[in-house]
This record gives sequence, structure tokens and C-alpha cells, in this order.
Amino acid sequence: MTAYQRKILRDLWRERLRTALVVLAIALGIAAFSGVLSAYAILTRELNRGYLATNPASATLVLDRLDDALVGAVARQPGVAEVEGRRSLRGRIKAGPGEWKGLQLFVVRDYADVRISRLTPQQGAWPPATGEMLVERDALQVVSGRIGQSVRVRTPGGVERTLRVSGTVADVGQAQARMEQVVYGYVTLATLAELGEEPYLDQLKLLVAGDRTDEAHVRGVAESVRRFVEGRGGRVRRVDVPKPGQHPHADLMGLLLLLMAAFGFFALALSGVLVVNLLTALLASQVRQIGVMKAVGGSDARIAGLYLAQALLLGGAAFVVALPLGLWGGRALSRYLSVFLNFDLLSFAVPAWVLLLSALVGLVVPVLAAARPVLRGVAVSVREALADHEVRGPGFGASAFDRALAGVGGSSRPLLLSLRNGFRRRTRLALTVATLATAGVFFMSAFNVKTSLVRTIDRLLAARKSDLSVALAQMAPLAQVERAVRQTPGVKAFEGWIVTEASPAGGASGPQAESKGLHGAGPSAAHASDADRFTVVALPADTKMLAPEIVKGRWLQPGDTKALVANDRLAARLTGFEPGASVTLSMGPAQVAWQVVGIAREPFSPNVAYVPLAFFESHGHGGTTNSLRLTLDDAAPATMPAAKERLDASLDALGVRALSSTSRYDGRRGFDEHMLMIDVFLLVTALILGAVGGLGLTTTMSLNVLERRREMGVLRAIGASPRLVWRIVIVEGALVGLMSGLLAALLAWPVSRGLGDLLVTLMFRTRLDFVFEPVGLVGWLAISITLGVVASFVPAWHASRHPVREALAHE
Amino acid sequence: MSQPPAAPGRESLVSLRKVSKSYETPAGTWPALRDVDLELAAGDLVAVTGRSGSGKSTLLNLIAGIDRPSRGEVVVAGARVHELPEKALSPWRGKTVGVVFQFFQLLPTLTVAENVMLPMDFCNVRAPRERRPRALELLARVGIADQADKLPAQLSGGQQQRAAIARALANDPRIVVADEPTGNLDSETAAVVLDLLCSLSDRGTTVVIATHERDLAGIDRRVELVDGAAAVR
Repeated sequence: MTAYQRKILRDLWRERLRTALVVLAIALGIAAFSGVLSAYAILTRELNRGYLATNPASATLVLDRLDDALVGAVARQPGVAEVEGRRSLRGRIKAGPGEWKGLQLFVVRDYADVRISRLTPQQGAWPPATGEMLVERDALQVVSGRIGQSVRVRTPGGVERTLRVSGTVADVGQAQARMEQVVYGYVTLATLAELGEEPYLDQLKLLVAGDRTDEAHVRGVAESVRRFVEGRGGRVRRVDVPKPGQHPHADLMGLLLLLMAAFGFFALALSGVLVVNLLTALLASQVRQIGVMKAVGGSDARIAGLYLAQALLLGGAAFVVALPLGLWGGRALSRYLSVFLNFDLLSFAVPAWVLLLSALVGLVVPVLAAARPVLRGVAVSVREALADHEVRGPGFGASAFDRALAGVGGSSRPLLLSLRNGFRRRTRLALTVATLATAGVFFMSAFNVKTSLVRTIDRLLAARKSDLSVALAQMAPLAQVERAVRQTPGVKAFEGWIVTEASPAGGASGPQAESKGLHGAGPSAAHASDADRFTVVALPADTKMLAPEIVKGRWLQPGDTKALVANDRLAARLTGFEPGASVTLSMGPAQVAWQVVGIAREPFSPNVAYVPLAFFESHGHGGTTNSLRLTLDDAAPATMPAAKERLDASLDALGVRALSSTSRYDGRRGFDEHMLMIDVFLLVTALILGAVGGLGLTTTMSLNVLERRREMGVLRAIGASPRLVWRIVIVEGALVGLMSGLLAALLAWPVSRGLGDLLVTLMFRTRLDFVFEPVGLVGWLAISITLGVVASFVPAWHASRHPVREALAHE
Repeated sequence: MSQPPAAPGRESLVSLRKVSKSYETPAGTWPALRDVDLELAAGDLVAVTGRSGSGKSTLLNLIAGIDRPSRGEVVVAGARVHELPEKALSPWRGKTVGVVFQFFQLLPTLTVAENVMLPMDFCNVRAPRERRPRALELLARVGIADQADKLPAQLSGGQQQRAAIARALANDPRIVVADEPTGNLDSETAAVVLDLLCSLSDRGTTVVIATHERDLAGIDRRVELVDGAAAVR
């Protein structure tokens, strides 16, 4: 090993504690970056692999009903590789005394021959016997159930029966049940008959021949099958074509992971700040050595190479430390998100490009960070470098800022020392404060975004004046419903609405079950693209159950018949929904022209249009309803199950079937489950950045103390006790923490607002009602000051314990 | 080598008995001082001379309680310094000994007046409202009252050393030790600084100066150190 190489290693070894801190900080950045990157690689591969392994349907045609002959005929159609009949219907499942949850029941003709959208048995029996139901693996916890347990289910027809949960299956295509608060159940046709439903199938699941990833090709085949079915007299109510070759949530997950990777890289970039601080200090302490090296023939490039090699070594060492941590983090994140998105990971293998990119970024960032201080440091002239330490350059007091700072008086000289010392290395201070402030911004953003989400949801729910929404299985006479409601104790007021679906001119749909949930409409209308279908809610123009926030135009008025108010999500999704415009919609057998009169803001809602009930009354649906809104005397969450049960009983008694009833509280829970992911993301990001910031502060304080060791000796020589010296350093650390806290507080408002909007736009395509949460501000101020104290604790202790003579002799 | 006791009738303020100090270095044990005996009385003005590495700074450090002897006793103003615990040394030093360094060692982030007030803060010897007037009085005494609110970097070397002397006097110490106080000054300024230090002994302060200067006017005693051993001139 050459002397040159030895110097590279020994300099780092001499500063081993600070070197270790910097390596740790870079390692955190690399680990965060590589962890998210490997999770991205694993999940995008495994999600689609796992999903495609189930042979997901290329398209699903929803008919009124179908038979084996039709299935056989469709199978012979050109372009069709496989076809299978299915059925799905919504019911309810009892989750506890008086508590019913939504049940999505899937009917499979032959469990031994499932070729499309395959199910994977998990535990218990397979296939389900008559009178038994398999449950999606994540759904058991929605009803706090277990295998072998008997559960009460209620079909859309209102029949209530007991089914035995005989096992669990994995159905990768379904969203996580606990998040949707829905139970996915799988039964046979015979069980369906036992439940009092007619045992028929109504869905054609197609697998196209040829290129299944070509959406145009899939749509072409689906359209020709639709024409074929209709040519045979069948009625196709809907054609669903999911994005080919991709899990329904792949886009969302990819965006989230890319966002996380961006923050991982950000953490790595911040760790570069520590490299800047360490090497700047190292170079400052080696000015004389640089002079000597130059005097004995070292060129600027050779000497710069020496220090840049140290930066490279720091990055290399950090990469070695970070890699196992990053891979472990990547696995943990993959596992968490796979559970969240309800799919299995078959392999945790991380592709080589992830390792290479992580290594490259991990090595390049420290070198880039070091470049400026190194080039500046080696630019010193030999004469200047070899000049006496005390006369080398201007010290504190040379600049106007120093003199202004000296004007800040006070009766406590030790406190003034702490304050002014903090500003001696202003670049170092700025970098340290900025690093820690960044963590603070994310910490506060976590609180701000969460509070803003809650406020946004609160505003949405506040517009909904009803305590309970009940979706009926079919249209029912309003008078009958009204009688049932009147017989139900505790109901304050009630309105009967009609909920249906529509699409921009082209198809037909009849009034049907109300859709709900965050992922848009459920079963719906016509041949239009499934993405263009939306829910239409017909309600009294003078409704007391809804008072949405109108952002453009006006709300419905008595006397309106063909007026339409679109929610902002619908207005953003489809063109032409502007106040004053006319839109033609396919609704039922007719196409209806509507006058758009207003836009209502409804964050986190599916696409919805509100129209006056008067229109339906004048078109043959007068005096009917399929959706109820009620206010109750007592709307406390604890009383809801009993209220729902009473209402169900009253409706049942008059032959009206309720499909689902949702309280204000139920709606809130679904939102909260979704919010958890954003909270976790922001807090983990704040934690990583906080750790990098904390390490940065520790390095800074340690360098500050090192450079001032002689001053500490002087303080001791003129009477300062070790405890006082310790306190001066601690207070300096706390002041740096406070500064970063205040900077973070200034930045938190705009950043958390932008970040919240970005996350919510990506996940829900809406914007937030921003609220600045003071708890986050106060909390971070406390944390940053504590970090300042903790980070300076060890350097302060060393400074106060160092023998005075040695401290005075320190150069 | 033994030193004569302080002049009869005058209080002995500094007493070093058989003091040795050695340091462990990578090259082995290095004896900085060997069996030094020294008695100084109140108001003595003593110059410690010798070549570089002869032990001048070590001797001053032992008197000021900045370092501890390897062997022997150091008694200063009645305190057995070699036995004082580290915790008690700083306040003792702040009240009893004023220290002047070669490179001034003013704290760069405090103004000149604040530097002088700092030992008073540390040792809490005056009421807070009396500290600035006291600092200004001391700065006036050393001739730089008009520089009180400047930062050290804005002062010349001579002015900084005067400020350092004012700081050393802040708590009315009975002893002032000055380690090469003129080593970094031009000869004219050095003379002024030495005059200042010498004048302190007229007020009863014992002044011990480590110096290369050969001709010190008004010096009471000279202790010459040769390879860590003392000889009186």
C-alpha cells in the first residue's frame, strides 16, 4: 500500500467516531432508497405475476341470466379462448348482535374446474359443500369469524339463512376485505338455491385468444361476444374490461412506491450533507498538511483525489452496511403492501438493477457532496497553508453578521457563548439546520395531512345530514316504506330516494341497487366503458338529508325536473359537466338530456350526479324508492346496530328487502382504514429523515466541540466548571435544534399542503381542506430541541472531561 | 534543586515541594519537571525562563491547577492544589489565579467586555449589575476601554493581550500566571504588556511570567529552568 493510500485510510480512522456517524447516516439513506426500490421491483413483479397466475378474465359480460348452452356457444366464438359462467350478488352477513356487514357472494358452478379468475384454497374445505361458504382469507376478520363457524347471511331477496364457513380462499382480484368492510363469500349454485335465490348464473367471464395485453383487441372480442349474445336474444347489461395484464391496484401501488423511492433518494441526498460537514472539517484541520503535501510536490488533483477517495470509501462502507438493511426493509415493505393489496409473494428476489442502482447512487452521492469542499480546500496556497494557525485567516468578527450578532446582548455570557458559537460555522449550521428541518417538515406534514384528511372527511360527512342510509334490494312502494319507517321507534325523519346509474349517451340501465364505497360504483349500466359509468341519485329538490358544498352554479331547486348537479369528481372525469351545459345520458331504456346547473364538492366520493326526484315521478317511478335516508333520535355509534335491526324488522314485516344499511360511523371507518397507509408513509419518512438529521446534528456538534477544544480549555482555565462547559455545548445543541424546529414550522405549511394534495390526488383524485395541526408543531419543536440536547450530550461530555492542559495544547 | 523560601515576614503564597511532572509519550516517559521546590510570596514578580521544552509552561500549569504533579506538593494560597478534586479546581482557579496565554485566547464570539465579565459569571463573585462596570474599569486600567464592545478579531494583538490581562484580573486573583505573554507581539507592544504585568505586583498580586525575554525591568526573581530543573538568578 502506498503512503498516499495509507493516508486516505488513516485520516478516516483518526476521525473514526465521526466517520462512523457519517457512514451510518449515508447507510440510512441508501437503505431507505434501496429498500423502497427493491420493494418496488418485488411488488410490481409479484403483484402482476400472482394476479396473472389466476388467469384473470379479460372481460366480464353481465347478463340478465345465462345457461350452459350460451356458455358453450360463446366458447366457440372467434377470439374467445375460455369462457365461464359466474354470478355475483350482494347480501348481508351478521357480524354481531344486530350488526350486519356487506356480503359479496360469488357463485361458481364447478369448483373443480375453475379456469378463469382462479381461487386458491387456503385453509379448511375445498370445494364448499351445499350449505357451506368459503370466505376470502382477509374477510374472516371483518366478521371476527373462524373456519367451522356458522354465520347468518341475508340474500338480496331478504331470506335469512345460516351457512357454515368451511374454509378460506385467496382471491387476488379483490381489494382487501377489511379495508372495504365487505365479506367475500364463495358458494355453489345448490347453496344459492338453499338461500332462496334462483340458482342461475348471470356473468360471462371471457379469456380472449391472442394478445391478452392488448386492450383494443380485448374490447373488440368483448364487443363481438356482446353482439353475439344479444343476437341470440340475451340482454347484456354491462361489459367490464379491466386494464389488461395488470392488477387493478398496480398503478396506485406503483405511484406510491415511486413516491417512497423519491423520498428514499431525498434521505440519501440529505445524508450527503454530513459528508460535506465531515470533509469540510477534515480539510480545515489539515490545511497545514495540504500545504506540506503541495510543498513536497503534490498536485491539486492528487490531493483532491485523496479526499474524494475518502468520500468514496464512506459511500462504499455505507453501502455495505445499508444493503442488508435495505433488503430487509424492502422485504418488510413488500410483505406489508402485499397484505394491504391482498396478494401473495412467491419470491423476494431482488433484481440486479436494484443493487447496481443503489450502489451507484450510494457511491456517487457522497463524492458529489464532497466535491465542492474538497476543491475549495485544496485550492489554498502553500504560503497560506503553512502560515501560523493563529494568523491564517479572519476569525469570528470579520463579517458584518458577526458584529451584528455581537450586538445581541444578555446578562448570561455562557448563554451568549452558546448562541454565538452556533453561528461560527454558518455553512455547517445551515446544512445541519436544513437537514433536521426537513425531517421536521415531514413530521409536521404527517400531522397536518392527517388532520386535513379528517377535516375533509368531516366536511363531506357534514354535508350528509342523514344518520343512516339504507339500500333496498329493489324498487319498493314509497308508501309501504314510509309505513315501515313510521312503525320503527327512534326515527326522526326519512326520505326515499332513487339511486341508479347512467353513462354518457349510449346504453340503458334500470334503477338498481345503490353502489357505495371508495372504489366507485358496483354493478352498473350499459355498454359504455365501465370507467364512464356513474351513479345517479334522484332526491327531493328540497331534501333535508343532503346539503353539499356547491363550488359552481347552484344546488337543485323545487320546480327543477331535468336539472343535474354533478359532483366535482364526475365533472373532472367526464367532459361537458359544466353549469349551463346540456348533457345526454343513457338511463334505463331512454336517453335523457339534462341541464347541468351546478357542481358539488364531494371529496373521496365516487362519480355521482344528483337529479330531482320529480323527473322519475314524471317518468313512471312516482311513489317508489330504492334508497332511504333517515335521521334518528339517537345516532350514537353504540346504538346503531339496534336501530338498524329495528328498521330491518319493520321493513321485513312489510316485505321490503334492505340490501345494506350504512351509518355515518360505518362510512367513517372505511376512510380511516385508507388513511392509515398515508399516515404510516409520512411517519416512516419523518423517522428516517429524523435519524439522518439527528446524526447530522451529532456530527456537527462533535466537529464544533473538536474545533473549539482549546477554547474549552480556556474556559476551564478562567474558572468554568466542567458542568458549565458541558451546559454551554448542550445549550448550543438545543439552540440548533430550536432553529431547525422554527425553520421546519415555517416550511411545514406550504410543504404539507402540497404533499397532502399530492398524496390525496394520487390515491383519491381529490384535494384536501388543509388544516395546520399545532400538535405537530409543538411536538416537533420539543423533539428537535431534545434531539439537539441528545446529539450534543456526548460531545459536551467529552469537552467537559478533557484535561485542561491537553485542551489548551490542542491545535 | 531547592529554592530559597519566600522573603522573611512576607506571606508564602505559592509553595512547590519536590514537584516532578512527567508525561507518557510514544517515545517513552518524558520528564518535564524534576524535583522542583519553589516558594513565592504575595506581590512577588517572578520570571520563569528557559529554553523551549525546559518546563516553563508545565510549572505555570501546576501553579494554576491546570495540570497535576506526578510527585510532590503544590500549595497555592493555602489550597493543596494537587489534592483538589477536578470539580473544585475550576472555581478555585477562577477566584485565585488569573491566566494569560501567549495567543491571548479571548473567546472570539464574545465582545472584549463580555470576555472580561465571563470569569465573574463563572465564579459569581460580584452582583450581575456590577460586572460590566468592573469590566470597563479593568479595561480602562489596561488602556482599552474604548474597545469594550468590539469583538476580539477587531483588535490588534497588543490590544487583545491587554484584554486578556483584564480578563485575568476580573476576579481579583492573588496570583497571575502569564505564559509567554509577549511571544506573539512586536517589541514595542511587548514592553507595554510587560509593564502592565509588572505593575500588578505593586498592588500585591503575585505575578509569574514564563518568558524568553532576558531583560525584565523590575523583576524580583528569576527562575531558570534547565531540562526541568530549577535554578534561581
